[in-house]
Amino acid sequence: MTIDAPKLTVVTGAENDPRARLRKRIFSVLAHALLIGASILMLYPLLWLLAASFKPENEIFTSGIWPSLSWDIDSYFRGWNAMRVSFTVFFMNSFVIAFLCVVGNLIACSMAAYAFARLQFKGRNFWFAMMLMTLMLPYQVTLIPQYVLFRDLGWVNTILPLVVPKFMAVDAFFVFLMVQFFRGIPRELDEAAMMDGAGPWRIYWKIMLPLSIPVLVTAAIFTFIWTWDDFFGPLIYLNRMQDYTVMLGLRTFVDSTGESDFGGLFAMSVLSIVPIFVFFLLFQRLLIEGIATTGMKR
Amino acid sequence: MTVHAADAAPQDAASGTSKWSRAWQNHAPGYLFLLPWFIGFFGLTIGPIISSFYLSFTDFDLLTSPEWIGLANYERMFTNDRAFATSMRVTFTFVLFSVPLKLAFALAIAILLNRGMKGLPLYRAVFYLPSLLGASVAIAILWRQLFAGDGLVNQFLSIFGIVGPSWISNPNYSLWTLIVLSVWQFGSPMIIFLAGLRQIPQDMYEAASLDGASKWRQFWKITLPLLTPVVFFNAIIQTIEAFKSFTPAFIISNGTGSPINSTLFYTLYLYNEAFSYFRMGYASALAWFLLLLIACFTAFSFLTSKYWVHYDD
Repeated sequence: MTIDAPKLTVVTGAENDPRARLRKRIFSVLAHALLIGASILMLYPLLWLLAASFKPENEIFTSGIWPSLSWDIDSYFRGWNAMRVSFTVFFMNSFVIAFLCVVGNLIACSMAAYAFARLQFKGRNFWFAMMLMTLMLPYQVTLIPQYVLFRDLGWVNTILPLVVPKFMAVDAFFVFLMVQFFRGIPRELDEAAMMDGAGPWRIYWKIMLPLSIPVLVTAAIFTFIWTWDDFFGPLIYLNRMQDYTVMLGLRTFVDSTGESDFGGLFAMSVLSIVPIFVFFLLFQRLLIEGIATTGMKR
Repeated sequence: MTVHAADAAPQDAASGTSKWSRAWQNHAPGYLFLLPWFIGFFGLTIGPIISSFYLSFTDFDLLTSPEWIGLANYERMFTNDRAFATSMRVTFTFVLFSVPLKLAFALAIAILLNRGMKGLPLYRAVFYLPSLLGASVAIAILWRQLFAGDGLVNQFLSIFGIVGPSWISNPNYSLWTLIVLSVWQFGSPMIIFLAGLRQIPQDMYEAASLDGASKWRQFWKITLPLLTPVVFFNAIIQTIEAFKSFTPAFIISNGTGSPINSTLFYTLYLYNEAFSYFRMGYASALAWFLLLLIACFTAFSFLTSKYWVHYDD
């Protein structure tokens, strides 16, 4: 969007004054120095984690604060199979849950958003306000009755409590994000389609969705990342180790190995954030735009 | 659908059914598209909210049916529960320090980046990355290590001859490690600030500097007032998020809020009451009180906003 265009050039009225230009230059050097310093500080913990995961166990805490390179991948093998259930299972579980959540959110949220953005029906503004209110709602207030409900349905220790709600557009953030996007699509397009006899379903499917690929991709990536990261939901609903997600596996790793296998723990920690990092590298621009347009939390 | 309506309309134009069928034509698609959302809204949001309000007046252990005990849960919260008081203090300390610090960093870096810095996309990506990763269990594990007795922070301090405490296991500092972790994730409010800064018309700065206003004055007189809607928005979102924060405290304290309850976040306390001790009624009361807190905070912010938030007329 407009974010990329650096355009602030303050006209001082003395653009050609050499002293002003020198001042500007010094300022720019100082600012870069500050930003680079801050960048290093921000990234240092992550780099340290990465470096530590490639070190032999006995060197992790003795090699000082400067990341020294070594390429011992033993920690990865050790960590992967450190527990009764291997990380293969945890990763599979996480991927399945995240994938289903993405599908659910894309379908349900885009349908709701289409209704709010385009269709006329009684009480639309009221329901839209209700939807926005749920954005502010702390999940704790629905937690216990939901747990009782899912328990009574026999869904505890299955992935259903984590996945099924997504098919009911409970993530109001994405409904809001998509409403904002749909409103930007020219109305002439659906009016023309309506003239040709297309009903709401066809307009939704043939016009809105194809034109909304960017927002759908953004919602998909955010859903993936948030579900992948989610700790609380799996913590409550998944109690058997073979059902654990990566995040639960990691937490069990901390508890079970305690202070003994840091190498393995760090290696698995690195692997657990690799999918998020890959999405970040590939779709950074979409993520940043998504945040800038709706002000999403992360 | 539309074809069918065109056929049907003239046929019973005079009768009452056409009115109904027209109403159906006009409103049904909207409700049909909203159907999944409605099911979720009533079944997973409104229903549970009401239900948890009821449960907050009961004694409920998940196994036997809830037993009505009136206001006893709320009474216990305010008169007879040290841990509740502690969790309130911990949570408010966390919110009061982490949110302003986070926003200050976010705004400072955003302003710096907005001055047409070269390499803006790169810097922005670097500063944003921690807030994307920060909620992860892996990062909480890393944080435990950084601030452990023999951790990275103390190794760094030892270069200057300072012997640091074990930050994580010292009740005086443990909460601060979580505040630092939260501030480290200033990336997403920074991006929102950057987007807001772009909206400020450049000619205002040009006019101001022609009038001889210093950069510092321009910041206070132009940038900040025009940015108040964004500040307001960020402050609300970040405060609510801070109230709801759970995973880092859970991982860093092994789920207990230790040492001596110094990281006993409200959410952590609620989780333990509900799922470790199965005091579901009491946990529901805690949840409703949290809802009330957040609602009051939000309402208060909106009511006072007209005094400090600048809106274009």
